[in-house]
Amino acid sequence: MIGGLGRSGATRDVSKASGAAREGAEKWEVQLRKGCLELAILASLWGGRLYGLEILRRLESGSDLVVSEGTVYPLLSRLKSLALVDSEWVESDGGHPRKYYRITAAGRQRAQEMARVWREFSSSLTKLLEPLAKEKPAREK
Amino acid sequence: MGPAHSSGARHDSTINARVEEYLARLRKGLAELSGEAASEIVEELRSHILERASANGETGSAAVEEALAALGRPEDLAAQYMADDLLERAAARRSPWLLLRGLLRWASLSAVGAFVLLGCTIGYFVGGCLMLCAWLKPLHPHTAGLWRLADPPDSYSLRLGFGSVPAGGQEVLGWWMVPVGLLAGGGLCFLTTQIALWCVQQFRKSQALRRG
Repeated sequence: MIGGLGRSGATRDVSKASGAAREGAEKWEVQLRKGCLELAILASLWGGRLYGLEILRRLESGSDLVVSEGTVYPLLSRLKSLALVDSEWVESDGGHPRKYYRITAAGRQRAQEMARVWREFSSSLTKLLEPLAKEKPAREK
Repeated sequence: MGPAHSSGARHDSTINARVEEYLARLRKGLAELSGEAASEIVEELRSHILERASANGETGSAAVEEALAALGRPEDLAAQYMADDLLERAAARRSPWLLLRGLLRWASLSAVGAFVLLGCTIGYFVGGCLMLCAWLKPLHPHTAGLWRLADPPDSYSLRLGFGSVPAGGQEVLGWWMVPVGLLAGGGLCFLTTQIALWCVQQFRKSQALRRG
């Protein structure tokens, strides 16, 4: 009886630890996605003007970047205050006007710079991560 | 045809009320922005909600609820808009009060913000205490001031003079407390503001990589 209790306690500890590891990784993933969102938005505007919902759809189809749809609009407003994008209201057929965003020259420059940092960062990190890929993930209970 | 039409209209007005309630809560959270800036944000989100919720020209209440849920709580959304704006205005006006409020928003978003807020709060608090002590010295000439305490040895205590004289303690500055307190306190508040503004600038420069 006592042994049984001890074992179930240990099992609980192991599953608690792996749960915590998963939770930690999820939080990190959210931060990572958020950090990349600005670059992704600038990149989505590369080919021409889009309105908020179009930007969201493009980010959703091209990546899993969008954590919450709410984050994109304040970010667009910040990009505008930094003069990296421009905006204009355009009447639509559907009846409600849409706010279109267009990347500015400064925005293109910033996106190129961020893309360069991203490429360098990701290639050096991939190299660092090589030993992890060779090893099987720790057993989980 | 008639009854179906009127129930459709009632359905529409419930949906509208739901969207308007969301937008009103958003607007309340944006109260500190200029009216024009707040209206622009509200209009953009109204356009987003209506378009996201309408498929084939129909707007269902389930689709509206889904659109609102995907945006998150209106208060959280407003806070994301406000964090940046408050820091911007504080940097422009150098007001400690605006700065602290901006930092409070920043602190609610990141650990670095919380750390800077803690540092600034301590800076303003100690600076404020030094100046207060200088003001109170003429009122409490025998008890207010900087005291070297006997227990624990070699420790110091800044006293506003409301209590009694600490046993075995020795006052260090005497009447110098007034100019020293005012200068050191004012200097500390000024320095705290400068450091906080510098942190805010660094934060704004790096925000591209830090959060979004």
